[in-house]
Amino acid sequence: MAKLIVLVEDDVRLGEQIVARLRLEGFTLVWRRQGRLLDPHGLDDVALVILDLMLPGTHGLDILRDLRQRADIPVLVLSARDDSRDKVRALRLGADDYMTKPFWPDELVERVRARLRRPTIRSGETISVGPLRIDLVEHRVTVGDAQVELTRVEFALLALLASNPGAVRTRARLAEELLDPDGDATERALDPHLSRLRRKLGATVSIETVWGIGYRLAPGGER
Amino acid sequence: MKLRLRLVVSAITAAAGTTLALMSMDLRARRDEAAEYLIANVERLLAAPGARARCEAAPMAWGPPNEELFGKGILHVRPERGGRDVAPPPPRPPLLDPRLRPVELFPLDGDLRPAGEQALKLDRELLRTLPGFDAVRLPSGLLNDSVAVLVKTAWSGGPCAHVYARGHVGLISRRLRPLPWLLPVASVLGAVLVTMVPVVRRIRRLADAVEASAVTGFAGEIPVEGHDEIADLARSFAAASRAVRAQVSATEQREASLRDFLANTTHDVMIPLTVLQGHLAALQQHEQAEHAGGGAKSAPLTSAMDEAQYIGALLQNLAAVAKLDSGAWQPMMGVVDLNALVHRVVSRHQAVSRRLDVAIGFAVPDDPVFVAGDITLLEQAVSNVVYNAVRHNRAGGHVAVVLDATATDRFSLRVSDDGPGVPADELARLSQRGFRGGAARTRSPEGLGLGLDITSRVAGLHGFELRFGPSEPGGLQVNLEGPQLHPITERRSRSPGAPRCRPA
Repeated sequence: MAKLIVLVEDDVRLGEQIVARLRLEGFTLVWRRQGRLLDPHGLDDVALVILDLMLPGTHGLDILRDLRQRADIPVLVLSARDDSRDKVRALRLGADDYMTKPFWPDELVERVRARLRRPTIRSGETISVGPLRIDLVEHRVTVGDAQVELTRVEFALLALLASNPGAVRTRARLAEELLDPDGDATERALDPHLSRLRRKLGATVSIETVWGIGYRLAPGGER
Repeated sequence: MKLRLRLVVSAITAAAGTTLALMSMDLRARRDEAAEYLIANVERLLAAPGARARCEAAPMAWGPPNEELFGKGILHVRPERGGRDVAPPPPRPPLLDPRLRPVELFPLDGDLRPAGEQALKLDRELLRTLPGFDAVRLPSGLLNDSVAVLVKTAWSGGPCAHVYARGHVGLISRRLRPLPWLLPVASVLGAVLVTMVPVVRRIRRLADAVEASAVTGFAGEIPVEGHDEIADLARSFAAASRAVRAQVSATEQREASLRDFLANTTHDVMIPLTVLQGHLAALQQHEQAEHAGGGAKSAPLTSAMDEAQYIGALLQNLAAVAKLDSGAWQPMMGVVDLNALVHRVVSRHQAVSRRLDVAIGFAVPDDPVFVAGDITLLEQAVSNVVYNAVRHNRAGGHVAVVLDATATDRFSLRVSDDGPGVPADELARLSQRGFRGGAARTRSPEGLGLGLDITSRVAGLHGFELRFGPSEPGGLQVNLEGPQLHPITERRSRSPGAPRCRPA
């Protein structure tokens, strides 16, 4: 999978910082300092474009418009003007996301990862997250090579969390979706199911409690 | 009183005055004519053979019946005194109408005393004021329709030395024809209307033009018609509106240049601030590398990161206030993906909150929640709430941001923390500009206290509901609710995706 990131940023110090930080995180970068349309020939290897808007030469929005006519590469726009017009135009032209300056390098790294993250492996009716495999048809769960026996509610709970690893599910929504509305469908009634599920899955699969919200399945095996 | 009503009243008053004047003139003319007529007929009666003898024999019964004397066509021959009849004048309608009020004849002696007990009192002094008269008309009031004459007989002695005759012409002429009367009245009415109606119409038009111009901030010209006083008035209005326009335009230009200045300054500051944050992050990485197995965080570095975050937030808040306070600025309403917005906001505050040891968690629904709004303002509004929750927390504290779509096509965004919270009596004042709260939440300087004020104003601008309350563990909970939008979700596939949550 192509991992080349094209950074279009005219500010030298900021450009150097971004390049240094993203290289440190293991990404490969090409840095363009001028506002010029991107060369269509090398686009096949490009996984992401980080595009500043106010550039000498061609404006960032024109570069974006031109790029969208050629390729569907994700574009992350950097804007120093806190103005809705630029953002709305960029999103309409097909930008995937934008960041307003000032931002922290961690923030940028997270956004870049989000854009480049492999989707959850879902082949047919199977979900795989790290060592965890869930067969949605056979209702079978394995962690590594070991099969784990789950009740109906435990299985549904795990499948829901695994359908979007890293995303937090609220306790209210989980209780509403999993528990029998005619029985005890309170948020508190989730707790015994959850503690049994955690015990059965063992230490390699982590279901984290997120304060004030609910639970998430730690996205294992991914950076 | 409205000008139109005043105009009608004036026209009616003028017409009534004209009518009264005409009536008075007509009455006077008819009285003159009737007096002449009366004198002529009395003289004719006295000139008849045996008139004196008949009168002196029975003064109280003297005189022919009214019909005979003044009836229609009887007295159309005017005799000369003591002479023969002359050719009759053409007949005319009787001025003295015997059928309504009969003509009365009173024979009087030399001292103007009536014969017998007749109800007539004449001042004897009258004779002194009328020396050597044969016949005279006695004066009567302005709107009095009676005509009285005094005729001296030829024999000037005895009970019939004078004859007093009295008749009535009627206030309104019996021979009245409408046209000569209506014409002047109608002319007066017409003249008033012809003069005044266009004036009223022009004043009305001018008022409408001024009102229309005022609605558009005096952007439109006020038309000037004619060369009279109304035109002068219109010119004055036009001059005043030009002055207002110039003033407004100058203010708008000043505001616009201030906004541009602020935007450019903000832009110029944001890049070095990003670089500064980059350096601070690099220092943090060095620190982490040096204290690989854990170790104390450098307090100055934490503070520097916090301050850098604060400066960025302050600049963005100042830009937001400049827009919100400007009369000319309009929000750019569009479709806003709240899932992506929450993601960006949480991501913006993660670096500093990790440093402060405050965990931010967030949850959004699987399907994106769209609302109608100004993307920058909404993001700033939510960011201020999250930043407030991070900043007013303690090491080991938590912030939860939960976006939910309700069944009733509304969204609910909850930001709660387990910080020190806000006393109940201060909750309602949280959204006021400059309000910094009590000791519990004033651990650090709050700048101008803009943050939650902006959030409150942005919520109001979008028609969203903003509520402050205590969170379950005693911190603050902020709820923002409003209607969802259901656009054609062609951007769904492009909305920022995982990770949904990054608790620190």
